[in-house]
Amino acid sequence: MFYNNIHTRIRYVFLVVLICLIICIAKVFYIQVFSYQKLNTLADALWSRKLPIMADRGEIIDRNGKVLATNITTTSLVVIPNQIKDKELTAQKLSEILGTDYDDMLKHVSKKTSIERVHPEGRQLSYEVAEKIDNLKLDGVYLVKESKRYYPYNNLLSHVLGYVGIDNQGLSGLELYYNDYLTGEDGSIKYFSDGKGHKLELAEVYEAPTSGITLQLTIDLDLQLAVENELENAIQKYEADGAIALAMNPKTGEILAMASRPSFDPNNYQDYNTEIINRNLPIWMTFEPGSTFKIITLTAALEEKTINLFEGTFHDSGSVNVDGATIHCWKHGGHGTQTYLEVVENSCNPGFVNIGFTLGTDKLMEYINEFGFGKKTGIDLNGEAKGILFKKEKMGPVETATTAFGQGVSVTPIQQIRAVSAAINGGYLYTPYIVKNFLESETKSLIKAINPTKEKKIISDETSSLVRFALENVVAKGSGHNAYIENYRIGGKTGTAQTVENGIYSSSKYILSFVGFMPADDPEIVVYVAIQNAKNVVQYGGTVSAPIAKNIFKSAIDIFDIKPSKDVIPKEYTWLDTKYVILPDVVNMNLDEAKKALKGFKLEYSGNGNTVIYESPKPGSYVKETSTITLMLN
Amino acid sequence: MKKIDKKIIFIVIIMALFGIVMIYSASSIWAEYRYQDAFKFVKAQSIFFILGLFIMFFLAKIDYKIYSKKANMILFVCFLLLVLVLIPGIGSIRNGSRSWFGLGGFGIQPSEFAKIGLIIYVAKYLEKNNRIMQDIKKGVLPLILVIGVFFLLIMLEPDFGTAMVIVLTLVIMIFISGVKLSFFVKVGLLGLLGIVILIIIAPYRMMRIVAFLNPWSDPLGSGYQIIQSLYAIGPGGILGQGFLKSRQKQFYLPEPQTDFIFSIISEEFGFLGILIIAFFFAYLYYRIIKTSLKSPSLFGKYLAFGLGTGIIVQALLNIAVVIGLLPVTGVTLPFFSYGGSSLLVSLISMGIILNISKNN
Repeated sequence: MFYNNIHTRIRYVFLVVLICLIICIAKVFYIQVFSYQKLNTLADALWSRKLPIMADRGEIIDRNGKVLATNITTTSLVVIPNQIKDKELTAQKLSEILGTDYDDMLKHVSKKTSIERVHPEGRQLSYEVAEKIDNLKLDGVYLVKESKRYYPYNNLLSHVLGYVGIDNQGLSGLELYYNDYLTGEDGSIKYFSDGKGHKLELAEVYEAPTSGITLQLTIDLDLQLAVENELENAIQKYEADGAIALAMNPKTGEILAMASRPSFDPNNYQDYNTEIINRNLPIWMTFEPGSTFKIITLTAALEEKTINLFEGTFHDSGSVNVDGATIHCWKHGGHGTQTYLEVVENSCNPGFVNIGFTLGTDKLMEYINEFGFGKKTGIDLNGEAKGILFKKEKMGPVETATTAFGQGVSVTPIQQIRAVSAAINGGYLYTPYIVKNFLESETKSLIKAINPTKEKKIISDETSSLVRFALENVVAKGSGHNAYIENYRIGGKTGTAQTVENGIYSSSKYILSFVGFMPADDPEIVVYVAIQNAKNVVQYGGTVSAPIAKNIFKSAIDIFDIKPSKDVIPKEYTWLDTKYVILPDVVNMNLDEAKKALKGFKLEYSGNGNTVIYESPKPGSYVKETSTITLMLN
Repeated sequence: MKKIDKKIIFIVIIMALFGIVMIYSASSIWAEYRYQDAFKFVKAQSIFFILGLFIMFFLAKIDYKIYSKKANMILFVCFLLLVLVLIPGIGSIRNGSRSWFGLGGFGIQPSEFAKIGLIIYVAKYLEKNNRIMQDIKKGVLPLILVIGVFFLLIMLEPDFGTAMVIVLTLVIMIFISGVKLSFFVKVGLLGLLGIVILIIIAPYRMMRIVAFLNPWSDPLGSGYQIIQSLYAIGPGGILGQGFLKSRQKQFYLPEPQTDFIFSIISEEFGFLGILIIAFFFAYLYYRIIKTSLKSPSLFGKYLAFGLGTGIIVQALLNIAVVIGLLPVTGVTLPFFSYGGSSLLVSLISMGIILNISKNN
């Protein structure tokens, strides 16, 4: 009876012990099955150490695949303090090779951390230095691959490309704007270590780095080179304070070239003033556009049909009185009676005041807004300015008058080239852009293409073609004649604007600009040039900027293989100009007849026959009156 | 007279051998690093195992009734040893507690031996006083006093783990003697109240409990060992990393051959290995309980039950700690963990139990 009592309790205890044991087993099962993933991940992080392998940054290439920004492989010094037995010796050897402070290096190799990057003195080491370190075969000292950004063309396109910091992070330009795309994913060599940090004899796991995405730009390297060269020359020739040039495809908004002075070399950006580095003038700088802005006034008036280009006339007496203020024409004494086409050709200020008034303040400002002034263009770069316009409700007749010919407003070069493109491309305002394609880094296969974005049609095709015609006349017969290229149809407009200094107009400092397009009947390229404070030259856009634009056009002809046009408006000559004539066709004539037909030209012959079989330049093209003609004789 | 329980001998030898193999796996790297001898702990444990086997077989022949006669003397020797070990110069400190006698390179832990001494004493006491055990004052209280003295002595070392094992084992023995359940309920409530008061007095104890419930709240301090243990058990998965392939023994788990050998077994043999270990203990305890139930003498019942329960309580406590069910207390896993005294005492217990089984 008594034993039974004890036996029962013994059995109870046995049961409870079994239950406890089962609880323990259940807990182990829970840990090993349900917490397995979590614990395994955590434990893996504890056991493994990673030697980082830096990913290559995505390349930046031009529209034809030529490399504008790439990487050069360097090595970087990494130490694993736990694996270094003789810290003093290691520190001494390393500091000797790197030429750095011994105590500093001792701190690095003694640091209580699993892995230490010797920063910055051990970064981006040259091959020679890396080899010296490698030859020592020191325990716990590793050289890992590190890539360094390299811009093979130095100053070329520098403001657009931007630059990167020591950790390859984009700090400005496209490098910053597209940093997430360009940044690759770092890889690593993972090895396992014991609790004291020593490397274990377990297989290392290599995780390959992934390079960043390659950016293909709308920029054409050859054109960019030409543009940079032109600006360099201009700066030299005119001792100018600054220079800006832009080239854009008016049918898409693609930026073909973008350059400015002063520029910098992104490989050595530390050597430059931050103001120079950070100001991408074509999108950052705002200034009074001057006469180039008249294109907008003209376009608005033509679309609203408030003027007739051919039949309407305006008399310019040299000045006009608006609400008590006198506005002078740039030409002393005025242009007299002109058709509106002549008003445009002469860039006559009172004429444009008149055009502005035919539109009225509301309409004028409506078009200015629709052409994208007063707001950012949305180009894929940081640091764009909006510019300043008069507030419509505060505008009186004087403000309307000055706005009509481009004074009292402040705009950026990119806004101007975009607006002019819209005026001449049939009326579509495009968002300018620089990155055309995202490409896979190795195969350069297309990941994503950027399509042109256009806004609604602002003006009719007819208006646009009238604007092209008027601007072609400006180059052929008016103030833009320095941009004229024989056998090509070029339209454009000059601009001369006083620089504002401390809130007042400077009487000596000007920004001389020109905006033009080619071919005038079906524009493929729009070029904008502005030179700031050119010295030792007549202060007209036509004198300084138009010739630069002309040279850029010439380069574009070769680069884009633009064909000569047939129906060119002949150039009108001033006494300064050399005359151009149409070259008569003398092919198949005998020599005497040919000599007669080509009277006035210098002749060169090739061959000994009596019949002309080939004539160079081609018959029918415009040539200088006294130029040399080569005839091939049978 | 029946024959000796060979199943107990068989299972004990298998467990101890498995233990020695695992001690090699767990300790070789640490031993190589610390003593330039990968087999250092394996050798020591093997010597104690062989010695222990001799003692076990010897004790299996000694009639267990002699312990009843010598119980007071045994307890007195234990008492003396526990006092001596506290004296600096005689007792040596290890892991923060003065609980060892250094004996020619080996260490002897008197608290381990006191465990057996107390179990013998309590078994005898319960046999003699079984009529008055219903009377708490006359029957239970004197016994509680004796246990309390030993508990205090061990806590002075301090060796909280061993003290816990001893108290739990003895309380369970008192429980089976037929003391009213209400007494244990009251004692339990009292203990709970005591814990609450202790927490109110010093709120940092709450932090300790929180730290044990969520070791990641203090991963480098109080949570360190349990996190390292979980990092061993978790990645073991169902089938384990494989023999000798533990990573946590590579200086992550401190002294993996002692208290945390269960973690290393989990890591190398996975859940399957744990099932086998659990089966060993359950089966061993089952055989011991059977011996106890069959014993014709009351002293034999109490003694076999007490010695078996002492081992199983210690095993459960060890496992509960390493898997995070209880706060870290520091007891070894019987038969598996490295430790001469622990293995000797376990084998002595088995020897006594074998003799009881022989006399059934």
